[in-house]
Amino acid sequence: MRRLAGSASLRVTLAIAAGIIVISLSAMGLQYRVTARALDARQAELLTADLDAFAATYQQRRIPALRQAIDFRSRSMEPGEAIYLLQDRTGVKLAGNIGGWPVDITPVGARFDPAPVLHYALPLGPGGEAIRYRGIARELPGGFRFLTARAETPREATLAGLRRVIWPVAAGLVALALLAGWLTSRWVLGRIARVNRLADLVAAGDLSARLPEPRSSDEFGLLETHVHAMLDRIEALNRATQRLSDTIAHELRTPLNRLLQRIRTLDAPAPQKQALEAEIHATTRTFNALLDISAAEAASGARPGLVPVDLSALMAEVHDLYQPLAEDRAMALTLDAPPGLQVLGERSLIAQLLSNLLDNAMKFCRPGDSIAMTLTAEGDRLVMILADTGPGLPEAQRAEITRRFVRAERDRDVAGHGLGLALVQAIATRHGAKLTLPASEKGFRIEIAWPKLSRD
Amino acid sequence: MPETDPTPPRLPPRILIVEDDTEAGQALCAAARDLGADPHWVTTYPEGLAAAGADDFRVIVFDRMLPGGDGIDALAKIRAAGSTALVLIVSALGRAANKIEGLEKGADDYLAKPFDPDELRARLRALLRRATITVLDNDLVSFGEMEIRMKARTVHIGATHVPVSPKEFDLIAFFAANAGAVVTRMQLLEKVWNLHFDPQTNVVDVHVGRLRRKLEQAAGRPVIHTERGAGYVFDPQRAAPMDDAPA
Repeated sequence: MRRLAGSASLRVTLAIAAGIIVISLSAMGLQYRVTARALDARQAELLTADLDAFAATYQQRRIPALRQAIDFRSRSMEPGEAIYLLQDRTGVKLAGNIGGWPVDITPVGARFDPAPVLHYALPLGPGGEAIRYRGIARELPGGFRFLTARAETPREATLAGLRRVIWPVAAGLVALALLAGWLTSRWVLGRIARVNRLADLVAAGDLSARLPEPRSSDEFGLLETHVHAMLDRIEALNRATQRLSDTIAHELRTPLNRLLQRIRTLDAPAPQKQALEAEIHATTRTFNALLDISAAEAASGARPGLVPVDLSALMAEVHDLYQPLAEDRAMALTLDAPPGLQVLGERSLIAQLLSNLLDNAMKFCRPGDSIAMTLTAEGDRLVMILADTGPGLPEAQRAEITRRFVRAERDRDVAGHGLGLALVQAIATRHGAKLTLPASEKGFRIEIAWPKLSRD
Repeated sequence: MPETDPTPPRLPPRILIVEDDTEAGQALCAAARDLGADPHWVTTYPEGLAAAGADDFRVIVFDRMLPGGDGIDALAKIRAAGSTALVLIVSALGRAANKIEGLEKGADDYLAKPFDPDELRARLRALLRRATITVLDNDLVSFGEMEIRMKARTVHIGATHVPVSPKEFDLIAFFAANAGAVVTRMQLLEKVWNLHFDPQTNVVDVHVGRLRRKLEQAAGRPVIHTERGAGYVFDPQRAAPMDDAPA
């Protein structure tokens, strides 16, 4: 259960984190694209502004004016920022801040139009490294070749800076997203875990378990309120049942007690009085068995009241209790149980179960028969077997013999109330033990598989 | 004639009885008087609590499901009030689980209704005795020529060592603590075997029978006597069986 909650918590954590990460990374990517586009536009504007200025100059006084303007600009602009070049038709440089016409650039386009734009890299950095440019190369009337470009360096530097920031921020975001996911899942699942813990307590038999206040007014609070209301109802029903069986006990045993006390004062022969007393005691026994059965059934699967019981030792005790009786009746009662095998249980109930089974065996076996008690560990179960070589049970009866008041037809004359095996069944169920009545070649055989208590 | 206590106090021991059922209350009072005690009977839980705190009782018999409360809840209050009385719960809640609960909560004994008058007297007598002979820490307990060594867990009759099994020794020890008084099968099951239900077969009788034959053989006369279907009396010095109960 806890492992499952753990994986649910992991799933919720990851889902929330993934959501946050996808959203924030997309936002950052978009931001990057927008920035890049804005920078592009700015570069394009700068280039266009340059071209507009040159166009105006050329309009006035053609090449000489252009040459002058380029000269002027070349003085204030480093090639790392912007490049200018004006050549005459023989390739002689008239003005500019670079040495000569780059080899792989061919003039294209008309005069000072903003398009077409060329993108190229030239080794003009301070250490000869390549710088990327956006610019134009044109051939002007008269064979003059004109080239101007703006370095992309500022744009790239800005974007590189942005990228440098993006990665740590992304890493941080992932971490924060995981944290946020974890906190959210802890909060949500924590609220569910509260209810789960309560359910565990109740399942373990503590019907009065409740969640501590305060309860929030959200859906979780509502869930808790509903669960509490359910538990209150179950508890009330359970208490009513308990009260009913206590009341039955009180209302029937008290008059039985009056009868028993009065029998002694009767003026009747002693054997008659003893027979009456025996009748009352037999009634009480039936009554006890019925109450024991319903109490064991009501407590089925509940943990409170269960303590580690040394099943091996208890079987030995009960064996020793019955051994002399078996010997007197010329029956062989044997015990085969390795020491120290434990179950979680109620000692008194388990002793009663064993006692009921041995009482039965003794009742039906004849001199010379044998009764074997064995206990073996099989996996996570302790298998207790009681097998005798007595008359056994008619096949037809085996299925329903553990029901209340069911007795084999041929046993009508044998003393007993027909509740022995029903109580055995109820006690086994109360301990989570599985009872089977396997077919047996000879005699009666019952197997009870108890959940083993691991020693840790 | 009421049975005489081994060490009779000057005043008869007082027994507080808290019981709302008339018939049961009368039976309890009668049993107390039979044992030479002085019963004081109240019928409700608050009265019982008040009486338990006000007077010095040797034994308190408390019912459960009384008007006003459950005798089991009174146990802690009686103890807290400083009473040293031994408490016997007599109740219609008589399943093994009820008995164990009562004993775990501090009752000195627990008797289920309906009860045999003999059973009740045996229980009351055992409690009265325990209240008088508070400690039995002597290592050596002797009855005439019969000697029981508690630490060594051995039994000798004269110079003869009587070999007994551990369970048989537990039986003898319980008998010795109640020497001269009737001990019932149910008491033996509860105190010696720690079982709080009634097996349908006479397992206890068989055990006692064996022990009895063993001791009789060694002593040359009966040591454990059968008492008219009520139980047994351990009395190594008694010559022949005689009735314990008054008519």
